[in-house]
Amino acid sequence: MRVLLRRGFFYLITAWAAISLNFLLPRIMPGDPADALIEKFHGKLTPAAVQALRVLFGQGHASLWQQYVDYWHNVFTGDFGISYAYYPTPVSDVLGQSIGWTLVLISVCTVLGFVIGTGLGMIVGWKRGSWLDSLIPITTLLSSIPYFWFAICVVLLFAIVLHWFPLSGGYAVTETIGFNWGFISSAVYYAALPALTIVVASIGGWLIGMRNMMITTLSEDYVKLAEAKGLPKRRVMFTYAARNAMLPSFSSFAMSLGFVVGGSIVTEVVFNYPGIGTVLFKAAQAQDYPLMQGIFLVITVTVLVANMLADLAYVFLDPRTREG
Amino acid sequence: MAINVATVQEVESTDSVVSSRFGWLRAFRRPLTLTGVIIVAIFCVLAIIGPFIAPYDPSSVSKATLQPPSPEHWLGTTQTGQDILSQMLYGTQVSMIVGVLAAVFATVLSVVVGLAAGYLGGISDEILSLLANIFLVIPALPLTVILAAYLPKTGSFGIILVISITGWAWGARVLRAQTLSLRKRDFVEAARATGERTTSIIFRDIFPNQVAVIAASFLGTVTGAILTQASLAFLGLTNVTEWSWGTILYWAQVSSALLTGSWWWFVPAGAAIALLGTGLSLVNFGIDEFINPRLRQAGIGTRKAQRAQVRPTRLKAPRRSRREARASVSGGRTGDVILQINGLEVDYVGEGSTTKAVNDVTLTLRRGEVLGIAGESGSGKSTLAHAITRLHKPPAWISAGEMLYQRDDGTVVDILTMGDEELRRFRWEELAIVFQSAMHALNPILSIGKQIEDAITAHRPSMSASERAARVLELLDLVGIQTDRAGAYPHELSGGMRQRAMIAVGLALDPEIIVMDEPTTALDVVIQRQIVEKIIELKDRLGFSVIFITHDLSLLIEMSDTIAVMYAGRVVELADAKEFYRNPRHPYSRGLLGSFPTLSGPKRELAGIPGSPPDLRHPPSGCAFNPRCPLAFDRCTVVVPPLFALSGEAEWRQAEAACLLYEGGGTVPDRASVHETDERLIEEAR
Repeated sequence: MRVLLRRGFFYLITAWAAISLNFLLPRIMPGDPADALIEKFHGKLTPAAVQALRVLFGQGHASLWQQYVDYWHNVFTGDFGISYAYYPTPVSDVLGQSIGWTLVLISVCTVLGFVIGTGLGMIVGWKRGSWLDSLIPITTLLSSIPYFWFAICVVLLFAIVLHWFPLSGGYAVTETIGFNWGFISSAVYYAALPALTIVVASIGGWLIGMRNMMITTLSEDYVKLAEAKGLPKRRVMFTYAARNAMLPSFSSFAMSLGFVVGGSIVTEVVFNYPGIGTVLFKAAQAQDYPLMQGIFLVITVTVLVANMLADLAYVFLDPRTREG
Repeated sequence: MAINVATVQEVESTDSVVSSRFGWLRAFRRPLTLTGVIIVAIFCVLAIIGPFIAPYDPSSVSKATLQPPSPEHWLGTTQTGQDILSQMLYGTQVSMIVGVLAAVFATVLSVVVGLAAGYLGGISDEILSLLANIFLVIPALPLTVILAAYLPKTGSFGIILVISITGWAWGARVLRAQTLSLRKRDFVEAARATGERTTSIIFRDIFPNQVAVIAASFLGTVTGAILTQASLAFLGLTNVTEWSWGTILYWAQVSSALLTGSWWWFVPAGAAIALLGTGLSLVNFGIDEFINPRLRQAGIGTRKAQRAQVRPTRLKAPRRSRREARASVSGGRTGDVILQINGLEVDYVGEGSTTKAVNDVTLTLRRGEVLGIAGESGSGKSTLAHAITRLHKPPAWISAGEMLYQRDDGTVVDILTMGDEELRRFRWEELAIVFQSAMHALNPILSIGKQIEDAITAHRPSMSASERAARVLELLDLVGIQTDRAGAYPHELSGGMRQRAMIAVGLALDPEIIVMDEPTTALDVVIQRQIVEKIIELKDRLGFSVIFITHDLSLLIEMSDTIAVMYAGRVVELADAKEFYRNPRHPYSRGLLGSFPTLSGPKRELAGIPGSPPDLRHPPSGCAFNPRCPLAFDRCTVVVPPLFALSGEAEWRQAEAACLLYEGGGTVPDRASVHETDERLIEEAR
């Protein structure tokens, strides 16, 4: 349990660091983005909005410490200001409408990619030296392809040439959002291509990592002993080799997750998917700083939570972490 | 905790780094690695000469809009008639510069942080590690997007800065772990003892040993940086008038190239990124395989050896005549033979060469016998143990021989010709093995009870769960582990307890033979004694036979009935333990026993044997021991001596030694005559 407490503490510090960074960035960056933004709106902003913008960039009259305290207050009340790209919708509303799409898409795809990639890596590692090794250059190529470019190719083939799947969007406009069959089936149908992209592009990394760990683990004495015990091959492969080989994969989940999330966000842009990635794209185009900051916070906190879940699973998988 | 496990992996892998600082260059010889190097080199050349060989100005518009590839425009044109090939050539330069420079900055940062954290330790380590871990967990791309959006569009330099700030953490963590383990190495300790300055230790002693790891981290960061740059450019967050692969894709996207079907617009840029990324990864695999020798081994000689494993039946027939000869000489106490190994040969298949690790070994094991196998490391004794249980892995394979096992009912089977399922059922039921380090031989994620139980489950499917549980408790009690520890994991037990648990696992199915490969070497002397006594007690009670392998000769003499001494893959002496102790015959055995009888003059003690074990890839001609043998004569470099039967007392088996000193039919010298022979030989030598 002490391990979990330590990890929890680490995530708290990380969250604090990320959120404080978010506070600091607008204040230390060169130039005057606030004026540029106010200029751009040509007086269409209400005085309150102008004031909010100045506060965001630390141009108010409060002391830095007071600004910091106010900032934290805003974070906890979910008040991230007004979005300029979607003016005058509050940032929290924009986030609320898009986060669900991204969360479902990315969590399902990440888990699928991990399971398929690790599973294939297990088999390729187990049968090392066989023809399966020739898969490695192919998966290397797949994992080197930029997600968004792969997405473009997938769209070209399956949406434009073959017309199997819709070109873009998250659901058919004829459906109403809600818990009804029409909407859900439509959403799944629209998510198929983005999901395919993310899963295929992320499999390669997991596969190669797992294969290498599998080979390293297979020369461990406990795997040899399992074989010497005359255990069925499946048990040797799963309970002795793979269960141990996948532990490092789990602990590198943190790094990979950030990578997958980053790739998926750009993928959304290609599909014009109604998730947070497309919103981030629009925010960046419109220099909508409050929205970008809100997105950064939401993504960071989500990734931290996912990492904590991975740590919990790790403790479940590895008894050595359960004590001490 | 999660991070520590990965660290251990990283630390373990450093051994080879130290062994040869620039040996990693050899990795480039592998075809895949070479392909990677060539791909990367081509891109580097294009990055330099690209703008000079570009046929058009990449930004100049023309009337030839949206042309597919043609002789004028090899890669077609954009919506405004710009030449895509020229854009690609200019773009290669920008993308490569961003990738390489960002990786340079990130790597420098990670080397500084990693080395400092690992070397200084203490509070600086805590803080730097925390910083690295925070940067690892925060998703890089959104952070990069925000940083890039805030930066005024100064072009590539800002992007390079942003990417290096977000990309250094992983390398720093790996390098920290490496440094931590290097720091404890002898040569670093020595440098510190001689009072070298910290900075000079870091840069003279530690840094060069991490070149391979740093190179791997650098190449990985280049890939990451090029991908990130492309993503940022694609999102329109860089200067979109500066041509890079990402910018090309950005313009393709905003101009709806997809909808107009102009695939030639976006295919080249993405393909270039993927190809370069693949090239860099292939180079990195080469480096990985160098850093982690186990990965390398998976590739060498595997095909041949695995084919051999699949078809274990197709072996050279052993030399029958010799076996019959052996059968006739094995006099002494007649017990049931339970295992008869004939002419066993185990080869290590290397690249272009094979090494005989076990060479023409013939051994007999009787019921209830403790057969001790002694030898230095590299003598083939562990390979023999693995071969007996058929646990050898490629690149090792059994090239000849047979291993006849006699079942209770008198039927005889050759272990080497068993099929997969037959072998699986044979294992543990009839023959179990105990490894040197129980720490490594027990599965760290299963409780010891479970590890005993799963052997029972696999072989006695009809047994009920409660019967199995009862058997587990019985076994733990048998080896002296409190039965309430059945749910304990290996890491919760002490070294001695783990070895007892290991033995309990071995006894689970009441096997007829237990092979023990240095079962006590990793333990301290007191625990060692307890374990040995336990093994003897259990053997007397349960009546199994033991093949006991160790380099500890005194232990072996004490607990074995018979002893086989191995040298360079061959058995050089076979005798009853008592007879062996009283009168070792082979010059090597005498060396092993610590002192040679003096030939003339005052008695002197010899500490061990001069010289070192032979390189099995290039064994000496004749008797492998001749370069180290004080009694060697001319014929020793010509003839490989077979085992000669000797006289002397024999309870279990008649002594034999593979030494030309005992050549000559029937004239078997006893100790005294050996001395005479020795003296005569010495005289002749003078």
